[in-house]
Amino acid sequence: MRIVVIGHGMVGSRFAADLAREDPSAEITVLGHEDHDPYNRVQLSSVVAGKADATSLALEQADSPQVRVLRGVRAVAIDRERREVVDARGDRHPYDRLVLATGSAARIPDIPGVRIDPDPAHDGLISGVSPLKDLDDARRIIDAAGPGRRAVVLGAGVLGLEVATGLAARGMRVTLVHHRERLMERQLDPDASDITRGALERLGIVVATGVDATGITARDSRLTGVRLSDGSMHPAELMVLCTGTVPAVALAAAAGLDCEHGIVVGEDQATPKDPAIFAIGDCAQPPEGASGLVAQGWDQARRLVQAWSPALATGAAPVPAGPRGGDLVRVKAVGLALVTMGRIDRAGPSGHAPRSVRLSDPAGGRFTEVVVQDGRLVAATVIGDDEAAASLSAAFTRATPVPRDPVHLLARPLAVQGAAGTARPVTEMDDEEIVCQCNGVSKGAICQAVHAGSTNAGAVSKATRAGTGCGTCRLQIEELCTATKAAAAAGAAPDGPSREAAPVQPPPAMAAARAATAPEPADAPEPADAPSTRGGGGSSVPVSTSSATAVPEPELV
Amino acid sequence: MPSPSTSSLPGTPTHCPYCALQCAQTLTPRDTAAGADSARAGQDGQPPLVVEGRDFPTNRGGLCRKGWTSAEVLTAPDRLLMPQLRTPDGGFREAGWDEALDLVAAGIRTAQQRDGADAVAVFGGGGLTNEKAYALGKFTRVVLGSRLIDYNGRFCMSAAATASNRSLGLDRGLGFPLADLGGADAVLLLGSNVAATMPPFVQHLEGVRSRGGLMVLDPRDSATAKLTADGAGLHLSPVPGTDLVVLLALIHVVLAEGLLDADYVAERTTGLPELRTATAAWWPERAEAVCGIGAERIRETARRLAQASPSRGGRGAYILTGRGVEQSTQGTATVTAAIDLALLLGLIGREGSGYGPITGQGNGQGGREHGLKADQLPGYRLISDPAARAHVASVWGVDPDSLPGPGVPAVQLLDMLGRPGGPSTLLVAGANVVVSAPNAGAVRERLASLDLLVVLDTVPSETALCADVILPVVQWAEEEGTMTNLEGRVIRRRQARPAPGQARSELWILRELAARLGDASGFPTDPAAVFDELARASAGGRADYSGISHARLDAEGSIQWPCPGPEHPGTPRVFLDGFPTPDGRARLIPVEHRAPDDDVREQAPLHLITGRLLEQYQSGAQTRRVPSLLAARPGSFVEMHPLLADRLGVEDGEVVLLRTRRGETRAPARISEDIRPDTVFMPFHYAGEGSANLLTNDATDPLSGMPEFKMTAVEVLPVRSLERSPA
Ligand SMILES: Cc1cc2nc3c(=O)[nH]c(=O)nc-3n(C[C@H](O)[C@H](O)[C@H](O)COP(=O)(O)OP(=O)(O)OC[C@H]3O[C@@H](n4cnc5c(N)ncnc54)[C@H](O)[C@@H]3O)c2cc1C
Ligand code: SF4
Repeated sequence: MRIVVIGHGMVGSRFAADLAREDPSAEITVLGHEDHDPYNRVQLSSVVAGKADATSLALEQADSPQVRVLRGVRAVAIDRERREVVDARGDRHPYDRLVLATGSAARIPDIPGVRIDPDPAHDGLISGVSPLKDLDDARRIIDAAGPGRRAVVLGAGVLGLEVATGLAARGMRVTLVHHRERLMERQLDPDASDITRGALERLGIVVATGVDATGITARDSRLTGVRLSDGSMHPAELMVLCTGTVPAVALAAAAGLDCEHGIVVGEDQATPKDPAIFAIGDCAQPPEGASGLVAQGWDQARRLVQAWSPALATGAAPVPAGPRGGDLVRVKAVGLALVTMGRIDRAGPSGHAPRSVRLSDPAGGRFTEVVVQDGRLVAATVIGDDEAAASLSAAFTRATPVPRDPVHLLARPLAVQGAAGTARPVTEMDDEEIVCQCNGVSKGAICQAVHAGSTNAGAVSKATRAGTGCGTCRLQIEELCTATKAAAAAGAAPDGPSREAAPVQPPPAMAAARAATAPEPADAPEPADAPSTRGGGGSSVPVSTSSATAVPEPELV
Repeated sequence: MPSPSTSSLPGTPTHCPYCALQCAQTLTPRDTAAGADSARAGQDGQPPLVVEGRDFPTNRGGLCRKGWTSAEVLTAPDRLLMPQLRTPDGGFREAGWDEALDLVAAGIRTAQQRDGADAVAVFGGGGLTNEKAYALGKFTRVVLGSRLIDYNGRFCMSAAATASNRSLGLDRGLGFPLADLGGADAVLLLGSNVAATMPPFVQHLEGVRSRGGLMVLDPRDSATAKLTADGAGLHLSPVPGTDLVVLLALIHVVLAEGLLDADYVAERTTGLPELRTATAAWWPERAEAVCGIGAERIRETARRLAQASPSRGGRGAYILTGRGVEQSTQGTATVTAAIDLALLLGLIGREGSGYGPITGQGNGQGGREHGLKADQLPGYRLISDPAARAHVASVWGVDPDSLPGPGVPAVQLLDMLGRPGGPSTLLVAGANVVVSAPNAGAVRERLASLDLLVVLDTVPSETALCADVILPVVQWAEEEGTMTNLEGRVIRRRQARPAPGQARSELWILRELAARLGDASGFPTDPAAVFDELARASAGGRADYSGISHARLDAEGSIQWPCPGPEHPGTPRVFLDGFPTPDGRARLIPVEHRAPDDDVREQAPLHLITGRLLEQYQSGAQTRRVPSLLAARPGSFVEMHPLLADRLGVEDGEVVLLRTRRGETRAPARISEDIRPDTVFMPFHYAGEGSANLLTNDATDPLSGMPEFKMTAVEVLPVRSLERSPA
């Protein structure tokens, strides 16, 4: 079977490589407009931020004689009658199936003076102005960047935030300009937007909202400043256009295929008009809508390979979408953790109303909102808490059950808390509490050994075996020796706090569990009526429901 | 440190019977031990030997609770003292050795006459001495002529072994002395809970903890993870089954941020471009949504490792893997990624840095080197390699063509038992598979379908109780031999007391069976002589022991292999001068993440992970017979987070039902904040109700045969609610 793929970007390259692996009989031709080997476009903003090296972007590509990749070759027409693709050199490429993976292009706003010639290719932009869509753009931006220089970033969507923080991390003076009042308005509500704005300002970024760029100034065909719709003038050597992308549909549209926002495809990724033509990645518009994120494109590629592969074919039915997470948006910004996922209006099928709780902490630069339905996380926004962002993302994509009360999700309880506190001083422990976990030796037994004449840690170890395993309790044994001897000298009760002064004593198992350095809490079964240890983590976090306004200055946990 | 090691007693210096740390101990008969009441020895529950820790490079005099109490198993009330034969009513009766051995030999002959050599299979254990492992492998290949032998070490080290051999050309466990860890600036422990499983190990982490460089990857806030508290390091808690993603992201960061040791990579490795492209797609923000560990934490981990690496002027860094990351259907890939990371940072084959797997069983290392593995001959040779066959056959005095080819890995072997075309007779030595194998319920059915099951054990283990013939064998304090510890160090095990009753060494049993099956001379019973033969068989192999002997070990204490000649001092650190690969370079190998075989789903939304407890060892056959250990850990349980318990409506101690695709069982809940709320943990030491391996997945890693013990999708239900609702 002859398969032609147009576009050798993130999705097209993976599709070709995976198909070659699964179907040895496929003869694959890939036409790629870019001169480079396929690379990780997602990491371009990290390259701009100086976090990733441009040489580390190369992506896996097909390594098989079945696959012929034509680099730097643009497809200019699809001849559906003859089932051939025509390239810019006039060569024709016959296909049995055609896969469009043409991605998307940066949207270039109409700002007078920005285009030096009316050709829509961004090469026609005045020097100092660039979108961030490919490697050449990234190189151009890095060349213009430098400590102390000034930059305007136009558009405060995900990419705008990444570029603004990245340039700030390079020491530039950055103004982030957004035409709406709300930053990332597709994902953030006003509270979350305000907190994000605060975080950006703390990084030294000037945020101008509700304004647009209306013009530029230039000298010697180089950008020198940007004029905004409020009349203000912003000197700048660099302007990065982060004003959205447009799916690359021209080829498909010219071939008479249905295109709306993107190339319209069904659940099977095929175009309704021509079952031999498919679209995947940023250029496609599937029934559930396009996210513009690579996870969705890669999942589409995987499903298409699976549906075509003789070995994996599951019949005629389209392969179902992979794990959730296609709409998880993670801002890769230096110094700002921000992730949003899911949509409330797409919550599960049951009649149960979604529950939503949020923590809003403007002063602390933190915001977390979670939406839970039928025991699963269906949407969330997290700002300023890297670990909570990570654990909620995992819970969302894996659809693992969440705590009964969603409030617990606000305080990062889905990963274990990490080794938090220090153990109580050994002198305050109860006699029954285990000091040496490796050998199960209690504080009482150690004190007894000291009384019986073992006056240093070595002697105590010899007498009780305490400290002869991992050895981490040796300091505590030493302390007990000193304290017990001192107490004996003073004639006071040597072992443990006096009963009168002691607060209510927890049962031994719980107490042992509290000793943070204690390996493996002793496992004495708790009496059935012992106070439950459940409910830990997060219950003291101030929260408000989504309808209420944010709590202004919550206490941090 | 306080050292209970300096013993004034005329004791026997030996090593602990249990784990691969092989802590040095001294055994003294109770009646000669100072202050001991000799009249009570061995009678009133007092063990017959007094155990003391002994100073040694690994344990520095320390022992854990299991080691201290090890002598109690010697006089376990149900210790097997006579051969036992199954009676028609399903019970057992005692028998003399001749009767029992004749019966076994006859059974073997009948089966093989009917169905050929492979009608008889052998299943060994990673607790057997080198001598016994060697003899068992030889017996299978020479006397039985069967290709079907494997061992429980398959459940332990196979993924790490496969990956090490593939990437580095050699698997010696730790390629450096354990004590080297003490000088490092960073240690990354992946899926290993040494603080609970081998506590004296932790002494070697003191230095790195004081420098804030201990990093532990574990879904639980385990005893080892807690060692990172208070500035001693970092704890990374991944979603179970996603360890490989964490490693791919760490590699991604090292490459993206240019943290690699470029000179080392250029001189000593191949494969960088392929590794680069394979990890380009795992940027930390993408990995984060899969593994649940924050992108910044991933970067921080990579940077700390890099700062500690020699090329950046650090004191050194180590990456160590344990069963937590290895017992997976992508176990080999995961270890490969760990090795890739270590290679990129220039850690392997450099003094003060390195990669190593932490072996679990006492002689898991030696067992796989000397013949218990399906595809191997002594000296870590491949049974499919004609030169290896010729060499070993010449030592054994047989025709190379008479040796069988490679067998099949453990899980597959167990699944073949009693099936058409599969073996109808099985010999088990040193393994308790009905507790320790994955999907243990199915294993029990397979054993029941055999014509003849022979189990060699010291106590009536759960597997022994399934047998037709149980043969009583000696314990560690009743025999001479050698073990190879987690750092490839060959050490001496010594006899401190006579064998009780009619218990015999496996070496004697194999000789007797061999004689009955027509091989009268090939099986010496003197362990020193067996070792000498082993040494010759290993000569020129990857694990070359040819310069080692019992006498030399007695004189020098211990020797790390390879040791190719009597004058050779042994090899504390491997790879210093290159890698034993055709081009002398290590291979950077790209790997891909697939999901676990049985990933969470609507009907089984939680992750089940399993592991060991401080107070128990393996299937518990030994440690459950020590009263103080049993009292500390009387039975199975399910550890769960308070938030999960709350969602399920389960109280602490309440019995819950666990259900997976393999089976179901019940166990009491133990509520603890030390575990992720999307995950439950069970210890695997217990048999019967609450036995974790009734639930685990027997899907295996295609490269190593390692089963997926560490991640099974599970449904957990309170039993109370089931009883309330009508069926
Ligand atoms: C700076 C940046 C940051 C991003 N960050 C994220 C992120 O954090 N997370 C995320 O999920 N997504 C992110 N994205 C989006 C992600 O990069 C895209 O979803 C992904 O690249 C889509 O892959 P694709 O193959 O569909 O399109 P592309 O990768 O755009 O590839 C399309 C290829 O087709 C070629 N092509 C087009 N027309 C023709 C033709 N006629 N003939 C031949 N070749 C043609 C193009 O030259 C291009 O090489 C980011 C994008 C950018 C630019
Ligand atoms: S750590 Fe291992 S070898 Fe050492 S005493 Fe404990 S069980 Fe024995």
